[in-house]
Amino acid sequence: MSPVSLPLFDALLLFSIVGLAWASLATTDERRSVILFIAFGLVLAVAWGRLLAPDVALAEAAIGAGLSGALLLGAVHRQPRPLSPGSTNDSRNQGATGMGVVLRWVVTLLCTALAGTLAWALLHAFSSVPHDMLPRAISGNLAASGVSNPVTAVLLNFRAYDTLLELAVLLTAVLGIFALGQANPGYQPAGPVFDSLVRWLVPVLILTSGYLLWVGAHAPGGAFQAGAILAAAGVVLRLAGRTRIGLPEGFMLRIVMAAGVGLFLLVGLTLLLLGRPFLGYPPAWAGSLILLIETAAMLSIAATLLLAFLGGRPESPAHAARTESANTTASNSGNEEQTPC
Amino acid sequence: MTDAMIWLVALPLAAALATLLLPRSATAVAIGSGLATTVAAGLLLFGVATQGALHYEIGGWSAGLGIALRADGLSALLLMMTALVALAASVYASAYFSAVSERARFWPLWLLLWTSLNALLLSGDLFNLYVTLELLGLSAVALASLGGKHAAVAAALRYLLVGLLGSMLFLAGVGLIYAGYGTLDLATLASVVEPGPVAWTALALMTTGLLLKTALFPLHFWLPPTHASAPAPVSAVLSALVVKAAFYLVLRLWLDVFADVVTPAAANLLGLLGAGAVLWGSWRALRVERLKLLAAWSTVAQLGYLFLFFPLLLAMPPGPARDLAAGGLVMLALTHGFAKAGLFLAIGIIQQRCGHDMIRELDGTAQRLPATTFAIALAGVALIGLPPSGAFLGKWQLLAGAVATGQWVWLVVTATGSLLAAAYIFRVLGHAFGHRPYPNQPVTVAREEWPALLLAAMAALVLGLAGAPVWGLLEIGT
Amino acid sequence: MLTAQWMYGLAGCVIMALGLRGALLHASLLQRIVAINVMGAGVFMLLVAVAYRGPVLPPDPLPHALVLTGIVVAVSATALALALARRLHAEQEDD
Repeated sequence: MSPVSLPLFDALLLFSIVGLAWASLATTDERRSVILFIAFGLVLAVAWGRLLAPDVALAEAAIGAGLSGALLLGAVHRQPRPLSPGSTNDSRNQGATGMGVVLRWVVTLLCTALAGTLAWALLHAFSSVPHDMLPRAISGNLAASGVSNPVTAVLLNFRAYDTLLELAVLLTAVLGIFALGQANPGYQPAGPVFDSLVRWLVPVLILTSGYLLWVGAHAPGGAFQAGAILAAAGVVLRLAGRTRIGLPEGFMLRIVMAAGVGLFLLVGLTLLLLGRPFLGYPPAWAGSLILLIETAAMLSIAATLLLAFLGGRPESPAHAARTESANTTASNSGNEEQTPC
Repeated sequence: MTDAMIWLVALPLAAALATLLLPRSATAVAIGSGLATTVAAGLLLFGVATQGALHYEIGGWSAGLGIALRADGLSALLLMMTALVALAASVYASAYFSAVSERARFWPLWLLLWTSLNALLLSGDLFNLYVTLELLGLSAVALASLGGKHAAVAAALRYLLVGLLGSMLFLAGVGLIYAGYGTLDLATLASVVEPGPVAWTALALMTTGLLLKTALFPLHFWLPPTHASAPAPVSAVLSALVVKAAFYLVLRLWLDVFADVVTPAAANLLGLLGAGAVLWGSWRALRVERLKLLAAWSTVAQLGYLFLFFPLLLAMPPGPARDLAAGGLVMLALTHGFAKAGLFLAIGIIQQRCGHDMIRELDGTAQRLPATTFAIALAGVALIGLPPSGAFLGKWQLLAGAVATGQWVWLVVTATGSLLAAAYIFRVLGHAFGHRPYPNQPVTVAREEWPALLLAAMAALVLGLAGAPVWGLLEIGT
Repeated sequence: MLTAQWMYGLAGCVIMALGLRGALLHASLLQRIVAINVMGAGVFMLLVAVAYRGPVLPPDPLPHALVLTGIVVAVSATALALALARRLHAEQEDD
């Protein structure tokens, strides 16, 4: 692009992004807000591409806009009435009262001040000498990292510990969701048009996820994007009213959920016991170890994101029967013991 | 010894996976790994005491490129407290949850919480701290909502949203730091950071996020409902450890990483907010009807005391006086951790046996549950700050520091707060030592009562009487 | 200082402020969750802007990795928040 049109493109792009964010938060209709948010996420992905961040763009489109959007839309559609704050937030229901208006203006002022201060500090940071010690270190050590995609190298090698904890975050969220109840009721079986779409879309998604996993070592891609696409395949199957959406059941499901963190720990601790630093891959083995970890991570991520979309413990007859009986015991226990007080 | 840092994170994490995969043996796995983690914490403490500050570069990559784990006197002490409190609460929890399904849901989340606490206390990287904060927040929320009661779920949801806000502000600060200094490693940052717009704004953002998570007045509104509705062992850990972790980060950032950047004015602001927390929290604790709410408001107040130290520490030049005061701060934090955990566990016993935790109807608990009441009394001693508790030593340092630096207002606040604490503790004990005769034998369940007793005794007696090594250990800075 | 870096950084600050304002003011729980996600997107934009080093130099991969982690963390938190809200709603309907 010529030097003139690129800033123009940037301006248009940023204008749409900020505009979509504004519109999404300005409307009071929840459904419109969520749909505008999904659009916001997709245009944001274009921005990431513009800023030469294709890995982030893929993840934003798949997870940030796609899966988050699906979760939010599902929440909107399930409520017969808008999600009211109820007991969670009584004090902010001011709306039209005088106190409410003052509060709104104070908050708006504070947020503007925040944006201004942050922008001022950012300007200062950008105007000073650029610090490139870390990018140079990354490119310098890239050869020893086992992959040639620098983002994958950072995620799975240099800062693998962060990724390990992040997989634990995913697991924690899903375990919390499990504890809250059963999965959302399914959808009705798809009509012929949707069904035929699903028939070719799902295999394509599965293939794409496998490809993204493989290619992540030397091009944009990786376990997270691949896992999200695989989860999307499951979501599509669910939306089409299928009962079998690719999730294993019972013990196998828990194995898959735990696989990402588990394999990471296994590799890391084995290396530790062999005398190397924790998660310090030997350079000759690094590529294979990373692929191994990424495969397990992809399956874990796909399962956990799909379970998050399901919104609770998946229903299966044996599991449901066991949970029913356990729940009745649970409601009786944990309270008073029989000793009179 | 340095490997102990890895095991402190890897053990509870592996145990979490094990309890997920083997729900029937979950309790045994959990208690076993809890013991192992406590041993690791002890080894780390011993290592720090003998070899000085430890650090570990994960993956072998130099700090900056990779993530470094660091342990010094402060973090080793907090790790030991975390291990002991979590172990005691685990033993209690093994008796508290009786249904298999409850246990199956509880243990993995509990061990993930423990992992996040250890990972946070050991982390030496700003973004890694963000990830550990998120893990901590999500596991705490999930645990707080266990049981599914309306009040608990509502409070947990509010806690989640507030926590997310805090995390986002923290992350913005981290991004700004990277923009300005090109590094995320705490040690490297401490050496290159200078006062300026970048450092001030970043510190302000990170501190605000952390203050939301540590429930400092006036950002405390989410704490009482959450801690009061959660299951008893969860409340214990939330009040004793989770909010303490966010406070530890404020301490680390203000006194260590950004030491050259903070101004006395900013410290005074923190002190003022702390004063508000002490007075408002103690006042509300005096007025509530439920024991758990009282304990939760007491947490709000006790955290305020910790922030009162900031203006003192910044007014003193580096030297023995400042080290004494810093030791008092840590002693107060440690004592509160043990005391509050013991208190919540004891209240949990009362709640399960009597079916309620209303203060007015505690009539005669002392006769029915003597060990539990004794635990509450001990914890109360530590919360008020009576000798020989560790809190007495801590508050003494607070008062001495206030006098030495001429900041008399903190003295008044501390005295008032302690009086109010005495009032609300004695109110509870007064109701507990009621006169209604109880003919039966007191029923005891060892697994439930021993953890509460030991924790409270730790706070009220051990830390105060044997607390001198704390000051020695704190000398070992990064 | 690159124009693009500055423009996107500034936009990130604005979006973050928009999200924060929405999170504090909205009455609807769902919209507050959306607002927190928007706030997160603002912070991510800030990070990606920091990473951008112009059309010639390859971008700094570290902030990209951080944003990837942040996106996954944000979706986990959103999922948990929505599950809590759903449970709350179920309780309200049972009352």
